[in-house]
Amino acid sequence: MTRVRVTAPRSAARPATEPREAAEESAMGQVFVRSLIRSQLRLALVVAGGFLLILGAFPLLLGAIPGLAETRIAGIPFDWLLLGAGIYPVTGISAWLYIRSATRNEARYRDLAEDKW
Amino acid sequence: MSPALGIAAIAAVSVATAVIGFYGLRISRTTGDFYVASRTVRPWWNASAIGGEYLSAASFLGVAGLILLSGTDALWYPAGYTAGYLMLLLFVAAPLRRSGAYTIPDFTEARLDSQAVRRVTSLAVVIVGWLYIVPQLHGAALTIRTTTGLPPWVGSTAVVVVVCLTVVAGGMRSITFVQAFQYWLKLTALAVPIIFIVLVLGGNDFPGQAAPATNPTGLAPAGPYQNISLLVALLFGTLGLPHVLVRFYTNPDGHSARRTTLIVLGLLSVFYLFPTAFGLLGRVFAPELAHTGQADAVVLLLPGRLIGGPAGELLSALVVAGAFAAFLSTTSGLVVSLAGVISQDVLGGSVRGFRLAALVSAVVPLGLAFTTDSLALAGSVGLVFAFTASTICPVLLLGIWWRGLTDAGAIAGMVTGGALCGGAMVAGTVLGAAGTPFWLAQPAAWTVPAAFAVMILTSRATSARVPRTITKVMTRLHTPERPLATER
Repeated sequence: MTRVRVTAPRSAARPATEPREAAEESAMGQVFVRSLIRSQLRLALVVAGGFLLILGAFPLLLGAIPGLAETRIAGIPFDWLLLGAGIYPVTGISAWLYIRSATRNEARYRDLAEDKW
Repeated sequence: MSPALGIAAIAAVSVATAVIGFYGLRISRTTGDFYVASRTVRPWWNASAIGGEYLSAASFLGVAGLILLSGTDALWYPAGYTAGYLMLLLFVAAPLRRSGAYTIPDFTEARLDSQAVRRVTSLAVVIVGWLYIVPQLHGAALTIRTTTGLPPWVGSTAVVVVVCLTVVAGGMRSITFVQAFQYWLKLTALAVPIIFIVLVLGGNDFPGQAAPATNPTGLAPAGPYQNISLLVALLFGTLGLPHVLVRFYTNPDGHSARRTTLIVLGLLSVFYLFPTAFGLLGRVFAPELAHTGQADAVVLLLPGRLIGGPAGELLSALVVAGAFAAFLSTTSGLVVSLAGVISQDVLGGSVRGFRLAALVSAVVPLGLAFTTDSLALAGSVGLVFAFTASTICPVLLLGIWWRGLTDAGAIAGMVTGGALCGGAMVAGTVLGAAGTPFWLAQPAAWTVPAAFAVMILTSRATSARVPRTITKVMTRLHTPERPLATER
């Protein structure tokens, strides 16, 4: 018969308090929270602004270059391609970049917060 | 197409919806299951379900119809419908999930610690939901009239009956599966006919012979004001839609809420290529539909016209099935979220109350649909977005990102936005499409800033009323959940 030593898994060495509760209560925690909110808001505004600039540039581009709207690619006029299909990759790339940066902001917050508790 | 085939297609979709709904019944037992599927839905399922719910009559029929009517100006609709999701991702998705609330009124109540705010938000949600269901029922009426020759009321009534049966039987757990199935059905129903049409037309120098730029109605092109106002409505309206927001609570955490939104953006981007293609083909091959007031039916009629024969009939039946999937999915999503709000606020939050509330949520818009005329579908849905952007959007955005928001400010802003935008909608209905000035027809560009301004100024004036729980709530909204190694 083999004997097995039963111990608590090492990963269970968690801080006694929930990180969130600690963040709510301490002044230091609130500094981190405010800085996280500010950086997430700044990130969201930058991505939204960039996206809207590109969106606004589409009709300006079509207006600025005469004949561009009527240029046909595979039989489809260019303005249809640009507004009907070209917008979607811009949306997707903006979303992807945002998620990457937002996740990184949260990881940074976690590193800071976990060091403290 | 033959009426029998159309009826068969509609019956097949309805039966499939009911069967998946009843299958889901077996795994939804508690009140929590009924509301939000216990927050255990995987991102791909959830994203398909959100896509299924979001792509309504306006997207399936209305976008192509408007493109047929007004050409490239109408391309802003699908672009805005998609970009609205980007705004949702940037400003709302993760914090809203982390708030842990079931519905938008739950969120505003928790954030502002006020029952009064809750009641005003609930009222706004119910109005938005009812206004949004009406165009779905108009779409169903149009589809029935165009494809089967039955009286239009049969279509709207059929949608309400199927939705009530599914929702009352299964709640949101089964709704998630139903919606996910319906996204893929809708995509197939538009993509397959387009592929066939392109193959058939391939030899005929597609679509070069006729200029799609010709304007079949001779309507004046939209000016920059209309386009900007429309974009404001769509960008800010999406992030306040009750049936879309309730889906975010089904994500396990904030991070997966973001991932889900990214997948939704992909699904929407793929989907909208096809209504756009239908609109373009319609302008080339069936411009007379715009003159006869059948623009919204272009998606339904085009496969039969361009392909013909038994193949055309079958493709038409597929499109009809997809259209009904659109009406059913959006209506059921709205009914679930409305029923959640009504049952919690009025009926005490029991499962029985939820079922009763679901009936009320579906039957009232049916009455509205019978007593109103169908405008252009995408246009009337655009107005609902404007209303949402003027009421629910400001309270969500400021609630999530600004500590200074107070209950008084939130109520003042929602009432102002609702009154201005609602007034513009009523005035537009009274004056008719021809007599409405452009700034009343597209009110979002001034009603949304007005709502924000009133909300901010009133909050500033009543800054003593900022709830004492603010630090706790903001921490909860913005900090990540329990650390997970996989998220790094």
